[in-house]
Amino acid sequence: MSSTSQKHKEFVAEPMGEKPVMALAGIGEVLGRKLEENGFDKAYVVLGQYLVLKKDEELFKDWLKDTCGANAKQQRDCYGCLKEWCDAFL
Amino acid sequence: MPFVEDPAQLSKSRLKSDLVAHHVALPPAASKKELYVELHLKHIDQSNCADFSSDDEDPVHDVVGEDPENATVLDPSALTDKDLKDLLLKHGVKAGPIVASTRAVYEKKLRKLLQSGGKEELNEAENAVLYSDSDEEEEGDENKEEQEEPEGEQEQTAEALKLNQQRCNKKNVDVQRGDFAYSQCFFLSSRLRPCPLKQNEWSSKRNSKNAVRSSEQTREHRSQIPAGISKVSIAQHSGLRSGVPSGSQSVVSNGCSSRSSQAFSITEMVVEMESRTSPTVCSDKELSHSSKQEHRSRSSRLLKEVEDKDIIVDQAVRYTPKDSTCVKDTKPPQEPENDILKEIFPDTNATPTGIYATPRRPIKGAAQRPIQYAYPKTPVSPTTLERREVERRLVPIYIQILVFFTVVYVLYVISVIVEDGSSVMPLLESLNQWSDSEEGSPALDETQDTHSASGEL
Repeated sequence: MSSTSQKHKEFVAEPMGEKPVMALAGIGEVLGRKLEENGFDKAYVVLGQYLVLKKDEELFKDWLKDTCGANAKQQRDCYGCLKEWCDAFL
Repeated sequence: MPFVEDPAQLSKSRLKSDLVAHHVALPPAASKKELYVELHLKHIDQSNCADFSSDDEDPVHDVVGEDPENATVLDPSALTDKDLKDLLLKHGVKAGPIVASTRAVYEKKLRKLLQSGGKEELNEAENAVLYSDSDEEEEGDENKEEQEEPEGEQEQTAEALKLNQQRCNKKNVDVQRGDFAYSQCFFLSSRLRPCPLKQNEWSSKRNSKNAVRSSEQTREHRSQIPAGISKVSIAQHSGLRSGVPSGSQSVVSNGCSSRSSQAFSITEMVVEMESRTSPTVCSDKELSHSSKQEHRSRSSRLLKEVEDKDIIVDQAVRYTPKDSTCVKDTKPPQEPENDILKEIFPDTNATPTGIYATPRRPIKGAAQRPIQYAYPKTPVSPTTLERREVERRLVPIYIQILVFFTVVYVLYVISVIVEDGSSVMPLLESLNQWSDSEEGSPALDETQDTHSASGEL
């Protein structure tokens, strides 16, 4: 991640707590709504998915694409954000 | 799967019989029930559910029992979580927990893996076809084309030769000489090939033209040349002529040092001078000519060149009928040159820039193909194996030689010393004395001590 967005920095800066799924980098309103429809209403649920996929980049990105139709950049942002958060707080 | 009883609840013997009925290789007799259950789950449950799912897959499931690999042909969604995990593991993917939210991901992954596996096989088959057949066919076609063209050219040249023959009433020998020069010029013109630039091509053409022209000039020179040289056999003349193009070419292409042995001659020098002076004279014509050539197809270009040559030849004939053989000799170089050019660079004419970006296909032979079959080493007999084993344990030969020489030297020294024994004995004695004195001095001390002790006593 050469350049990280503001959203990414904010998410990675602190424990995610009860943040909504839209707080994740790469997840905007549209994707967030889709994720919520699928039951992933909080960021920690997505984190759970990320963890249960053993932090596998490919699998997680695939899952994100299938679940909410994220494009490559959104997948990358979301993955990078969760990865960094885990590196910091897990 | 409501039709199948939970295999874990079945007895071991029942499991065994089930497995046998489904042609599954039984695990060793001592193995635990869990193993049987696993096998049961893997093979029998799969086939059962597949039986109910679709008819198309039936033939596959007959084989499933023998070869668990074929089970991967199944739709991953029909597998149990554990089977899915096992299959993924078989494909080198260490799956995490397969739960409701992750199952879809892993199924997709497995499907991708299966597809990629199948694709690889397909590709290999396609490649094999590409490697083996199509290549040869293409080459064959090209060869056919190339073979057809030279024949056409040869016919044309033969016609031209005939014309000249009729006009000049020359002997058959000369025509044969011409043929000989033809083959030689093949060789000479092949040197042109590595010069890919348009300039070179152009200049070479010009030079070959110059050669033709210079042959007209050299007529005059020839008349000045002493009679002895002018009486040189026709064969030599033809040799000189054929050397002419090579000489001029090497001059222009900045000293490609490869000249034929015949190349250096008076006529060649003349031609060099001519080639240096004449470009301005014939450049206009050649420029237009070459530019036309680039945009024309092979056949039309060829025809035009032949025509041009005919014209030149005609001129030559008109001027001096005697030397028309020389023109004949020099004329062939152009045609085979084009010929080989086309053979080697079939598409070069199409590039107006002169830069050859040949659309040559990548080498489909051994270079690109991955090594699929390592040639076995030549069979080695057990005796050679033994010998190698022994050789491995042996001391290296240079050490053996070294040791041998040291031993020889020592023996020689000993023999020399022994021969004059007088020198040996003192040496030995001195050695003994030396050792004795070392041992003796403390002994003396002791004796002195004892003496003194006894004295005190």
